[in-house]
Amino acid sequence: MVFNSLTFIVFFAVLLLLHRLPFSWTTKKINLLLASYIFYAAWNPPFVILLWISTLVDWVVARRLYESTGAIRRRAWLLVSLAVNLGFLAFFKYGEFLLANWQALLASFGVEYLPPAWNIILPVGISFYTFQTLSYTLDVYLGRSKPLSSMLDFSLFVTFFPQLVAGPIVRPGQLVPQFAVPRQATSSQMLWGLGLMILGLFMKIVIADAGLAQSVDYVFGSDKAVGFADAWLGTLAFSGQIFCDFAGYSTIAIGTALCLGFALPENFRMPYAAIGFSDFWRRWHISLSTWLRDYLYIPLGGNRGSEARTYVNLMLTMLLGGLWHGASWTFVFWGGLHGLYLAGERWIRGRTGVAGDPVGALNRLALALLTYLLVNITWVFFRAETFEGAARILQGMAGLAAEPVAVLPTVYMIKIAVIITGMVTIQWLMRKRTLEDVVARTPWWLTGLVAAAMLFAVITTQGSGEAFIYFQF
Amino acid sequence: MTQAQALDEVTVREIPAARFAAIGWLVLVLVVAAVAAWEWKMRTLGLRAGDLGDSKSQWAVERRKVAAGEHDDVVIIGSSRILFDTDLSVWQEKTGRKPIQLALPGTNPRPHLKDLAENSDFSGLLVVGVTPDIFFTDWPGIPLFAGLTDFWKDETPSQRFGNLLWIELQGRLAFLDESYRLGTLIDRGVALTDREGVRGPQRDVWKLSESLDDRQTTMWPRLETDEFLRDHARWVWGPFSGEPLLEHADVARICEETRKHVEMIRARGGEVVFVRSPSAGLYLESEERGQPRARSWEPLLRTTGAFGIHFEDYPEMRNLDMPEWSHLSGASATRFTRAYVDVLTREMPWLRGSHTEEST
Repeated sequence: MVFNSLTFIVFFAVLLLLHRLPFSWTTKKINLLLASYIFYAAWNPPFVILLWISTLVDWVVARRLYESTGAIRRRAWLLVSLAVNLGFLAFFKYGEFLLANWQALLASFGVEYLPPAWNIILPVGISFYTFQTLSYTLDVYLGRSKPLSSMLDFSLFVTFFPQLVAGPIVRPGQLVPQFAVPRQATSSQMLWGLGLMILGLFMKIVIADAGLAQSVDYVFGSDKAVGFADAWLGTLAFSGQIFCDFAGYSTIAIGTALCLGFALPENFRMPYAAIGFSDFWRRWHISLSTWLRDYLYIPLGGNRGSEARTYVNLMLTMLLGGLWHGASWTFVFWGGLHGLYLAGERWIRGRTGVAGDPVGALNRLALALLTYLLVNITWVFFRAETFEGAARILQGMAGLAAEPVAVLPTVYMIKIAVIITGMVTIQWLMRKRTLEDVVARTPWWLTGLVAAAMLFAVITTQGSGEAFIYFQF
Repeated sequence: MTQAQALDEVTVREIPAARFAAIGWLVLVLVVAAVAAWEWKMRTLGLRAGDLGDSKSQWAVERRKVAAGEHDDVVIIGSSRILFDTDLSVWQEKTGRKPIQLALPGTNPRPHLKDLAENSDFSGLLVVGVTPDIFFTDWPGIPLFAGLTDFWKDETPSQRFGNLLWIELQGRLAFLDESYRLGTLIDRGVALTDREGVRGPQRDVWKLSESLDDRQTTMWPRLETDEFLRDHARWVWGPFSGEPLLEHADVARICEETRKHVEMIRARGGEVVFVRSPSAGLYLESEERGQPRARSWEPLLRTTGAFGIHFEDYPEMRNLDMPEWSHLSGASATRFTRAYVDVLTREMPWLRGSHTEEST
């Protein structure tokens, strides 16, 4: 089920009603759990079984890990969890990719191998809930936390529908304690939650889908070389589309949870106002970047070893982070490019001794724009389906395309210019402020006018219930 | 404290200090007023509640009827012409059968013919609408309806339920029409010159049709009277160069592929007929130059051995009203359906018997 659908409106209304009826807290949690399974099954019912298996395996493994004392036994139990969770991921998400690469490898040795057709559907959100359950087991293994005592709470932690299919990826400590005591949204929480849902829907339906998606498809779908203006505008449009799509989802998820009385962590913090790439990753998909840092970068040694080892750890983390997004070498390259940026920034900061933001507003603005520009280069590899396609766009961006064709209608070019300028300006102005802070300082009638305008635009634009881009990851 | 430990702390969300009740009421009043005004404005433009539009889900509902259908069902596939030009109630009146309407705007029917031949046990009468500049090409159709041969099986429970809700809402609100959504109005309403070779949203046709339940589709009444919309649609269909879209060898290949699929349906006891709906004006002239009847329609019938109805062969199917040269007006669609169903029932007398009579 997607947030931007009529089905979700009915689902959420019924659930809100149930959650406010005078049932016991346990009954309400069971309602939430069943609703979460329905939310997931509404897309493809059989895949709920994967959720159940993941839940059951990590529930058992965490308890065994806690009870076992021998290092070998503990490692064996951890391997069970990794094998099941990453096994599902490998089979459903990377199976075809692995097979194709195996075929290519054999071909390079002159061996002809024709693999069987791989018609496996990717279970939506599998990367998200796999990382979430793994964080629970890894925390118990690393001694950071104890196993939970309530299977209901654990099942709800794995399956909690607002963030089940596209994050934020939540740690047990952030969410599970909230299940311990009865929670019901206050009227302020409910209205603020609804406000966040309106904002998220506006970002997804009006900006990402109606405002930018078509332009992105025109440019990246062109099988001919595109010129300088089209290539840049198409890429800038994608930067806006991916942000509004994904941050829009996270905002709706946070608002939905808040309406039920639960708090989810922030996942985006004005990423296109970042000054440098370490700053960017503190602002973009925060729950994934911190997951990778805590469960991959730091266990690999982080920055505790030699300088060279730190760069290796950084690159490995970002390459795997790229692969997490999709079973394609273009995603790996995207991750690698970000790794190089981070490594380059680390090297420059190390040589110049500059830490934190530079002095002077103009310097900060120039560096933020440079960061945004370089991030846009990486988006080309994220969006293009092949390296050839990416090369075609990059050639256009460099003004080197041979016999380029024009693809973007004038009205789309104007829309991109207006939306992207607006988006980057707003993010820059709110770089060190939160939405909550801005709303608290804005006259109530102005907040109401803006919210009404956004809701009106959502209702009259409607959209076609297109899935969120990050569902495929 | 390490970062990992910090992330283990229970999340608490700040709620801004704001007058939420006042904001909530203001939003409610403004949105209800604005949506009511928008609905009124859309109705003045000719939009009507109950016009369900066309969608993948609506099509999937009908396609699933074929999968669960009677052995003597009548199914229609094709492009927008046979969709707009067929009055299902006339079929019902004349044959006792209401055809399942699977024709799709801007879509080549050949993939659907192949799907019905190879992936179903359909054994009824298949009426294939032939729009020459679509049928005799390898263009599958507009992206909006891509992937439908799988979608009707893969449609999620959420999408199916959403379609039911959509039908309920659309039955009450006119502004939900996808041709007049805010984003579409912005794209099409701003008249700007495009660079050479660019096909902008102004070259998309405005609303063409109304669709009811069972995908009964007719020309939008306003298009029949509004000169701007009529001329705009003609301009969109242009430039009427009349260039042949395919070589003769390609036409022969298409006819041969079609024959194979027709024979698969016949082998199960079914039948396939082709219907060439009328066109007019520069559009017809362009078709006559680009896909002349002798080199497209005639080879198709010859190769497949199927029965075909070409509007030029029947006086009652000529001189009908086609405001934008490609589709019949509502009244003419009824006349055309009456005429072609009469021809079919003469050719296939069994069509006159109702389902009930046949099965008993």
